[in-house]
Amino acid sequence: MPTLASRVVLALVLTFLIGPFVIIILAGLSAGNSLAFPPDGLSLKWYLKVFTVESFQASFALSMFLAVFGTLAALALGVPAAYALNRYDLPGAETVRIIVAAPIIVPGIIVGLALLRYLVVPTGVGVTLALFLAHTALVLPYAVRVVSSSLHNLRADMEEAAVLLGCTRLQAFFKVVLPNIRAGVLAAFILGFVTSFNQVPVSLFLSGPGVRTLPIDMLAYMEITYDPSVAALSALLAFLSVAIVFAAEKFLGFSRYV
Amino acid sequence: MFENRTTGFALALPAAIFTAALFMVPVGILLSEAFRADGQWSLSGYVEFFSEPLNRTVFWRTLKLGVLVAATSAVIGYGAAFAITNLDGRRRGQVFGLVVLPLMISPVARTYAWIVILGRTGIVNDAIVGLGLSETPVRLLFTETAVFLGLLQLFLPLMIISLVSAMENMPRDAIPAARVLGANWLQVFTRVILPLTREGLVMGGTLVFTGSLTAYITPAILGGSKVLMLETLLYQRVNVANDFVSASVIAMILIVMSFSANLLLKRIATARR
Amino acid sequence: MMRYLPVLTAALGLAAGAAQAAENTLTISVYSFAQDAFKEAVYDPFEEICGCELVVETGNSVERMAKIEAYAADPVVDMAVMSAHDALALARKELLAPIDTSKLSSFDQLYPAAQDPLGGNLGVGYTFYATSIVYRSDLVEVNSWADLLSDEVKGRVALPAISTTQAPLVLMMLGQALGQDDILQTIDTVGENADDIVTFYERSSQLAQLMQQEEVIAAPIGRFAWSRFRGTDLPFEWAEPAEGQTGGMNVMVMTRGNGNEDLALQFMDYWLSTEVQTRLAELGIDSPANAAVEVSAEAAENLTYGAELINSLTIMDPAVILDQREAWIDRWNKTVIQ
Repeated sequence: MPTLASRVVLALVLTFLIGPFVIIILAGLSAGNSLAFPPDGLSLKWYLKVFTVESFQASFALSMFLAVFGTLAALALGVPAAYALNRYDLPGAETVRIIVAAPIIVPGIIVGLALLRYLVVPTGVGVTLALFLAHTALVLPYAVRVVSSSLHNLRADMEEAAVLLGCTRLQAFFKVVLPNIRAGVLAAFILGFVTSFNQVPVSLFLSGPGVRTLPIDMLAYMEITYDPSVAALSALLAFLSVAIVFAAEKFLGFSRYV
Repeated sequence: MFENRTTGFALALPAAIFTAALFMVPVGILLSEAFRADGQWSLSGYVEFFSEPLNRTVFWRTLKLGVLVAATSAVIGYGAAFAITNLDGRRRGQVFGLVVLPLMISPVARTYAWIVILGRTGIVNDAIVGLGLSETPVRLLFTETAVFLGLLQLFLPLMIISLVSAMENMPRDAIPAARVLGANWLQVFTRVILPLTREGLVMGGTLVFTGSLTAYITPAILGGSKVLMLETLLYQRVNVANDFVSASVIAMILIVMSFSANLLLKRIATARR
Repeated sequence: MMRYLPVLTAALGLAAGAAQAAENTLTISVYSFAQDAFKEAVYDPFEEICGCELVVETGNSVERMAKIEAYAADPVVDMAVMSAHDALALARKELLAPIDTSKLSSFDQLYPAAQDPLGGNLGVGYTFYATSIVYRSDLVEVNSWADLLSDEVKGRVALPAISTTQAPLVLMMLGQALGQDDILQTIDTVGENADDIVTFYERSSQLAQLMQQEEVIAAPIGRFAWSRFRGTDLPFEWAEPAEGQTGGMNVMVMTRGNGNEDLALQFMDYWLSTEVQTRLAELGIDSPANAAVEVSAEAAENLTYGAELINSLTIMDPAVILDQREAWIDRWNKTVIQ
């Protein structure tokens, strides 16, 4: 494909994907009282206001906790599963695959409602724990799929060679396989983090007294106060995420692997 | 393939048991309500659902938008993924970061951005009127077009990511080799790129299609009750009527649609082998 | 990571247990609206007085109702506020306990309509709201509910979705203006005009945005949302239609068997007191149900205030809403959004 054409394609795609983001940043800078583009004068007041809304602080902490630890838990379960599904000839492998993939296709509202009615209420587990379990289950399919995809393209005979050279299976995994699927694992982490962090429908029913995830809190805030502070908050969150991706890039050499 | 099945199971089963116990059981109980009527097993929930003309309209609209969004994102996704993989390392990381970026932004805020963009006084209408395509602003909000654009923007990055990682894993010389052997770009695409990236296409397609089916915020805000989709209809049933049977029926339909799409895509992908 | 998982799970369990173990707490379920202001005006001072901890649960009314229903056997929520017909729905499912109104010192000062709106003392009204039409006076004029379907606002009017609390009220008034006495008939009329209606909204906050960008120039709203429109520089006007304004009431209820009745009553008493009702009114948050409340003219502008106005409102019987809603939704789905 000629270079010019690819440049045009990329420019158009990026405009479509990033344009609304730019508009959100600018709308958050508005000096007026409503979400508008072009903004109604410039001011930082909405960006500053974000930090004064108390409930945002608690819900941000909860969402961050769920996204990081839910995803790590999902990887802890998902990487071994993906490895087993790719490297072992298991009877019923397809069943395992379908079970693990199930959360992705069940509408979130039903998940939230089901967990509230048949897990939280009868067993009395805390809402926070239910949220943690739900988010782990939701992220698990991404972890398994993305890591599987990486493993699929990594030839098994490299590990065989390592084993022949005296490694145990476990050593071979950590010395040969893991470094080669690092990008996949990282991609799975980022995908999982984002999925969890922005998840709305599941968390809708799984919010207890004083326990609410950030997006639910934003929706609730927006239902009442239609000012640009939600735009400002979104922009700040996006900047935070960009910082994470950049850090991943810098310390792990993300782009060399993706 | 390794022989030791015990190890294999020990690695695979924790994930499966976790999901089965904490996810499938509660959801399964809830879904079973969709097969019950008057204390007996019954399919009457489904018969009733499809006998409503509104529900049929919503069903077809959801399927149509899901397919359109998935197909459009595949077409755009291949172009973008190919362009990205051809960039040099540094640039590639930057562009990839920009593609991932929208995923970081709360769908709530991204959807609201479209209200500003597509509104009567928004930039799209300014352009339409400015270019003389229409004398008065066109009503774009609360139409299928708005929902389509919102969903496409929401899920296109997932397709691009899937395709990029698939293309990354293609042997580097496959395309030049095919070109040297005289294949044109169409042949390169159908005979080399497509077969070698089908995993990514299946994954991306499934993610985009199921994402579109189960998205709530985008159809709710950009479509409203004039452009209902199955997910917003489901929410309405729970929200307005506390009608968990209809909600379970719709959930079941969504699940069947997603499963079928997944199987169908896999079938198509393997058929090309 | 595997190694840390049990530790993590245990930590989570501990945190959850600790939160539930606290003695002398009152859990209330309220609309998510203006929580920062409520905290300052009601919750914090009450915690001082009772020496207890207040746990506040928010969300939309159906979520909150679903939760109260799910926890029926062992209520988590002790006291809740919601629309009169939602409360009646809970009452019919026997999820509510009667309120001992002799413990409410301001009870006699409440407007008569607020004293026992559900029957059996199952709820007490704590705020009223009027519902009318807000419009852009620079672009159109509205004098009647029938103007919602006029040529002037064609293609630029929004109506509340049938699922909202406002929809039945608006349909009732629109029907009155059109000389129809059955809401089903009015729904059919709306259906014939569906193409000329921009959207059927679920949240009035979204409407403020749509009206600023001139997507919509007239729409019915509750008075509680009015300050959002008044706060902008654009010429918004509150219509006083020939057929009058409609409106409704929100009520406070007590869940059945919550084991925390005394504290819940103490809290209700506090909220209904002239002191707190005045404070909420002056902040423009909730219009008073306590007739002894007096507010400044400036604050009154945002409220549904004064015996004359409140007695003039055409309020719909919550039982009618509850009994008919399914039929209205059915007809709406067939004729309006088909």
